[in-house]
Amino acid sequence: MAMESDFVTADMVDASEFAELSDSYQVYGVPLTVANEKVRIEGGMPEQMFIPQILQKFGVPVKLPGQ
Amino acid sequence: MGLLRDDDRAQLQKEFEQLTNAVKLVFFTQASDCDFCPLTKQVLDELVGLSDKIQLETFDFATDKHQVQAFRIARIPAIALVRIEAGQDRDYGIRYYGVPSGYEFASLVGDILDVSRGDSGLSAPSKAALAQLKEPVHLQVFTTPT
Repeated sequence: MAMESDFVTADMVDASEFAELSDSYQVYGVPLTVANEKVRIEGGMPEQMFIPQILQKFGVPVKLPGQ
Repeated sequence: MGLLRDDDRAQLQKEFEQLTNAVKLVFFTQASDCDFCPLTKQVLDELVGLSDKIQLETFDFATDKHQVQAFRIARIPAIALVRIEAGQDRDYGIRYYGVPSGYEFASLVGDILDVSRGDSGLSAPSKAALAQLKEPVHLQVFTTPT
């Protein structure tokens, strides 16, 4: 996603090494994706589910499969 | 003793034969007070030894303030993945925080391949959707190595 948009930056964070940060985001299971401070996606999922779930919250008119 | 097994090393060397553009791993570390920095360095040293298309540049988180700011590094150990295009850095904004081991190692290898190619591998609809984004989105993906 970061490669496709100059607006996107992507951090992979080892939750166990950065316990304080993980606690602040209440990471109880992985993978957990946090987009800015407003979107949380728990678990892994296919791209066609994952990307629309995030982009919908940032004003991009995109549909989830089945919507 | 190396961290990578001989057969893993051979497999990776073969995968890295596909690398087109060079990829620079910009590593942020610190001499002390960083438990996981030495192990991260070891992983990166082994990775860089597998292909002449993979470069390593190291900065000190405590003293190289300008680079820390330029790459917007929040904590260490950190790795920024940069594509080399005609001698210039192309920073997509991809960062790894922590030792890239286990699942994260596989993910880092995949990212090196994608960044070198300059193609995310996402589907055309995903790319089209991402192209419509007009505001900054900072993704933080929390994982564990196993």
